[in-house]
Amino acid sequence: MLARVANNLFWMGRYIERAEHIARYLNVNYFSSLDAPNEQSQSRQLVLRSMLCMADDTVPENVELNEEEVLYDIALNTDKSFSIINCVKIARENANSARDLISTELYESINKFYHYVLNYDVDYFKNKGLYDFTVNVTEFTAILRGKIRGTLLHDKVYAIIMLGINIERSTQIVRIIHAKFLDAKKAKGNGEQFKQSSEWTTLLKCVESYDMNRRHYRQPPTKLTTLEFLILNPFCPRSVMNSINQVANHINTLSTDKYPAKDSAAYLIGKTQAEYKFKSIESIEGEVADFIEEMLDCLWLMAQKIEKEYFNY
Amino acid sequence: MPETQHPIFSSYQKDNRFYDEIFDQEGNVKEMYKTLFDLYSGHSVQDFAKLNDKAKASFFNQGITFQVYGEQEIKEKIFPFDLFPRIIAPEEWEHIERGVLQRSKALNLFLWDLYHDKKIIKQGIVPLDLISSSVNFLDQMNGIDPPGGIYNHISGTDLIKHSDGNYYVLEDNIRCPSGVSYVICNRTALKRALFGVFNHYQAHTVTDYGENLLQILESVKPNGVDEPNCVVITPGVYNSAYYEHSYLAKSMGVELVEGRDIFVEHDFVYMKTISGPQKVDVIYRRIDDLFLDPLEFKPDSSLGVPGLFSAYKKGNVCLVNAPGTGVADDKAIYTYMPEIIKYYLDEEPILNNVHTYHCSRPDELKYVLENIDKLVIKPVDEAGGYGISIGNKLTKEEIEKVKVTIQAHPRKYIAQPIMSLSVHATYIEETNSFEPRHVDLRTFTLLGKDKEFVLKGGLTRVALQRGNLIVNSSQGGGSKDTWVLK
Repeated sequence: MLARVANNLFWMGRYIERAEHIARYLNVNYFSSLDAPNEQSQSRQLVLRSMLCMADDTVPENVELNEEEVLYDIALNTDKSFSIINCVKIARENANSARDLISTELYESINKFYHYVLNYDVDYFKNKGLYDFTVNVTEFTAILRGKIRGTLLHDKVYAIIMLGINIERSTQIVRIIHAKFLDAKKAKGNGEQFKQSSEWTTLLKCVESYDMNRRHYRQPPTKLTTLEFLILNPFCPRSVMNSINQVANHINTLSTDKYPAKDSAAYLIGKTQAEYKFKSIESIEGEVADFIEEMLDCLWLMAQKIEKEYFNY
Repeated sequence: MPETQHPIFSSYQKDNRFYDEIFDQEGNVKEMYKTLFDLYSGHSVQDFAKLNDKAKASFFNQGITFQVYGEQEIKEKIFPFDLFPRIIAPEEWEHIERGVLQRSKALNLFLWDLYHDKKIIKQGIVPLDLISSSVNFLDQMNGIDPPGGIYNHISGTDLIKHSDGNYYVLEDNIRCPSGVSYVICNRTALKRALFGVFNHYQAHTVTDYGENLLQILESVKPNGVDEPNCVVITPGVYNSAYYEHSYLAKSMGVELVEGRDIFVEHDFVYMKTISGPQKVDVIYRRIDDLFLDPLEFKPDSSLGVPGLFSAYKKGNVCLVNAPGTGVADDKAIYTYMPEIIKYYLDEEPILNNVHTYHCSRPDELKYVLENIDKLVIKPVDEAGGYGISIGNKLTKEEIEKVKVTIQAHPRKYIAQPIMSLSVHATYIEETNSFEPRHVDLRTFTLLGKDKEFVLKGGLTRVALQRGNLIVNSSQGGGSKDTWVLK
């Protein structure tokens, strides 16, 4: 496979995944805040800032946010690099340049997705389309994942796309944890109330893991169970651990070294996988913010190493 | 029209000046189309409009689009597709197939001669100045023996049916003829929309093009290579034919590369893969000659590969089609095709040429300038229907302008009588009815080492505007599925 095309496939996977997480975050946060149990969580400014921070790293502090503007910017504003529409555009551009390698079915689904987002009526979105648009975006991405899994050979092409998807997924999950962690703090401050905040439920719903979490713990989510579930549980398909396991699995399709070099992507991924496997939530609990930063750095480094080793054309 | 005319065709205005593919002179449906006509007549106009919309959406969703370069923006457009297929009878096709193969073979021998002994020029059959003044003649190709002895591996021959009912060749395209992907897409689209109609006709498949193309590419592998690595090279995703490039690569199961994916080392060509460099043996290039190698041709080309031509000269890689083929599909050379066929194959041309006036010849130039309103003026080295003037559509002022242009560069232009392209029943969205529209036919011929193939079908292109004769997609043309009957 061409290195350039591999790079395109990797980023196609990343942008599909990114679009999904942003769309769901928008949906769940907005609608759950409407009848949130306390004033802080219902605060428009808190919700808008949370949504914007999750999508964009550069949100100015102490600026009054306009609801219509924020929603439009995140969803359909082509001038904003972080918008869903731009994610889908880039995913499709990447698919275009790898069109000969991916299945007709997958390409057709990406193309439909692109036209759906591109032709979405902006006025309708601003007035009443938020739910419809975000739900459809997440459904389109689910279809794409199905096409990726079901219509491609599970070879190097598949491995590269899955590496992109899983690195992006874990990155987005960590970003969402970060955003909701801050929201919970703002809403409830420290102490017991913080640990039992409704923001943990919202967090789980943002990553489609609420039902799984309830089934696993059989009690309402707390800070501890939520973080443990989303970071360390290997059976939760949205957890960081699960994504890293998949990354480790797919990197082995590309790297056949039994003992990968210490500066290789495979080595870093294997090492991270082993560390997470034997980590306990109690060891993280007291320093969540630091750990989040560490996770993001580690995921960034993994992507860098993959790009350097395989896409450096 | 006879009273038996069905409603879906009720507003069909037959024009006896043109050869109608479906109706005879009396307005009766021709035997070959009768079943199809009855089947289509079973649809109401509304049904048909819906089917048409679905077919369009299907093309759009599949991303079967091309890009049109406007002054300010690039637009993504669907190549309009007409749901009423064109049928070609077996005996008629047999004639076409023999004819296009004959032309392709003759052109290949002509190219070999031009880049080697130049006997045809020395013997005065084709004038030297026609070759020496051609911008498409590449001095760099002199004396080079392309692998397998093939120059024009892929030829696209454009044919029309005149009012006399005979096929005429309008032009030979042997640089990078495009359109074959649409032949296959049209078949797929028609099957999806109206699968039932296929039960009544035995049409040849068109989906075997990819496998035949791959065999052709592999047949011209460089010496010493057992299992050649073939690739398709494209200018990139923004090229108007990118869909076709990706389709061809996919249908052959080979890599689609861009210039930046390829490098040359010690006169061997490699592509940059995730596992390091991998040697490339045969390149189906969809990049024009002058952009292939900045070291040899246009130095500022970023599409090509530095050193590629040197590797080609050494016989380490095969380029398909060979560089320099453009000299032979020049519209001025076209006029010598009967002589070229006779000279190399000692055969009479199977397919007719349209009579052509060379503006480079003073007496013919004089005739052209005096009769522009009766002629089609074509630049000899343009493709895609660009630069064509149709005399009877021009105002007096425009005719004067054309005269000035021709006189400034007589070598650059040829003129032909305005041919009456045949018409075919075509669904017109604006009027929600079938109307006659002019059509042509592009066939696809493959030549390899000890192998030849003609795709049994072809691209029937339709000029969608009433009375228009230019069928190119860039000029608003559409296309039809084309059935060659068994």
